[in-house]
Amino acid sequence: MSLEAIRFYNTFLALLTVFALGLALGLVVYRVVRGPEAASRWGNQALWLAWLVALVATSGSLVYSEVIHYVPCRLCWFQRIAMYPMSVVLLVGAVRKDLAARFYALPLALIGLLISIWHYTIQVFPSLEGGSCDPLNPCSARYVEVLGFVSIPFMAGAGFTLIAVLLLFYVRATRT
Amino acid sequence: MKKNLIWIGAGVLGLALVVLLAASIAGEEPIDSSVGFGEVTVEGNALPTIDNPNAGDPTVGLVAPTLSGADWNGTPVSIAPDGRSKIVVLLAHWCPHCQAEVPVILDWAASGGLPADVDLYGVTVLTTPSRVEFPPQDWLEGEGWDFPTIMDNEAGDAALAYGLSGTPYYLVLDGENRNLGRFAGEIGIAGLNTLAQIAQAGLSTSPAP
Repeated sequence: MSLEAIRFYNTFLALLTVFALGLALGLVVYRVVRGPEAASRWGNQALWLAWLVALVATSGSLVYSEVIHYVPCRLCWFQRIAMYPMSVVLLVGAVRKDLAARFYALPLALIGLLISIWHYTIQVFPSLEGGSCDPLNPCSARYVEVLGFVSIPFMAGAGFTLIAVLLLFYVRATRT
Repeated sequence: MKKNLIWIGAGVLGLALVVLLAASIAGEEPIDSSVGFGEVTVEGNALPTIDNPNAGDPTVGLVAPTLSGADWNGTPVSIAPDGRSKIVVLLAHWCPHCQAEVPVILDWAASGGLPADVDLYGVTVLTTPSRVEFPPQDWLEGEGWDFPTIMDNEAGDAALAYGLSGTPYYLVLDGENRNLGRFAGEIGIAGLNTLAQIAQAGLSTSPAP
C-alpha cells in the first residue's frame, strides 16, 4: 500500500472514530432523556449495529497488520483478543435475534475498553512504559496520529465504547 | 422494509461523506519514502547487541566500526577515529522517548554541558515511512537539531553496527573509536553530564547514567 493510501486510510478510520464517539455520546444522552422507551424502538437493530462496529474494528486492525504490515504490540494483541470474538458472537446473536448475546459480548467490550484506555495513556505518557523504546515494538509508540489525538488504541477504545453503550442501553434482554 | 432501506441509504450516504472528508483532510501531495534514508558505509566489526547495556557493557574497550554517511542535506559525516572523543546518539523519529530526549540534549548542549573537546553526533535509525514524524529530518530540524547526523539506510546497517537495543541509544567513543560505554533510553541532563565525563576520562569504570 502506498504512503498516500495509508494516510487516507488512517484519516478515514480517524473520522469514523470521532463519529463513533459522538454517536456513543448521543445515544447515552438520548437514553437518559427518553428512558427505557429509547431502547424499545431498536429491537435487535442495536445488535446489528454493535456487530457492524466490531466488524469494522476487526477488519480495520487486520488491514493494519496484514496489508500495511504494522506489527501489533503486546497491548494491541490484548485488545484484539477482546474485539475479534465480538465480531462473531454479535453476528450470531443478531442473526438468531438472541438479545442475550449482550451477556457474552459486554464483558469483552468493557475489558477491551479498559486496555485501550491504558494503552492510550502510555502513548500520552511514555515514561509509564519505561525509559526507552523497544526497537521492535514499543506499546508507547504511535504508528498513527490523525487530528493530533487519534491513534490506534484511541480508535479501538471508541469502538469498544460504542459497542458497550449499545449493549448496555439499547439491547434489552432477560436471563433465560 | 422501506424504513430499513432508508437507514441503509443514509448509511451509504454518510459513508460517502466520510470518504470525501478523509480525502480532503489527508491531501494528495505525494510522499517520497526514500527521503528518510541515506547511504551508509561500515568499516570494522559491529559491536554486539546486548539486552541491557545500562547494566554494564561487556564490549567496553572494543573498537567500534567507522561509520560514514551523510545528513539530509548531503553533507558527508563520518564517525571515525579522528583523535576526538564522541557521544553518538541513535534516534528513531517515531519513538516517543527520542522525541522527549532531543529537546533535553539541545538544552544541555546550549547551556554548555557538552565539553569543547567532545563531539556529539546523531544517527537516525529504524526509519519507517508509514510511522509518525516521517521523515526524521523534518522532526529534527523542527527541534533545532544542528549536530552532524548520519541517516541510516533501509537495511539498518548503522543500527546493526552499534548493536542497537533500544532508542534513544547512546555510545561514548574515545579518539580511537574505542567503545567507552553504551546506554539505552532517556537519560536526561544528569545522564548526559555523566556521558561527557566518561568521554573526557577515556577508558574508565564510570557508572552508568
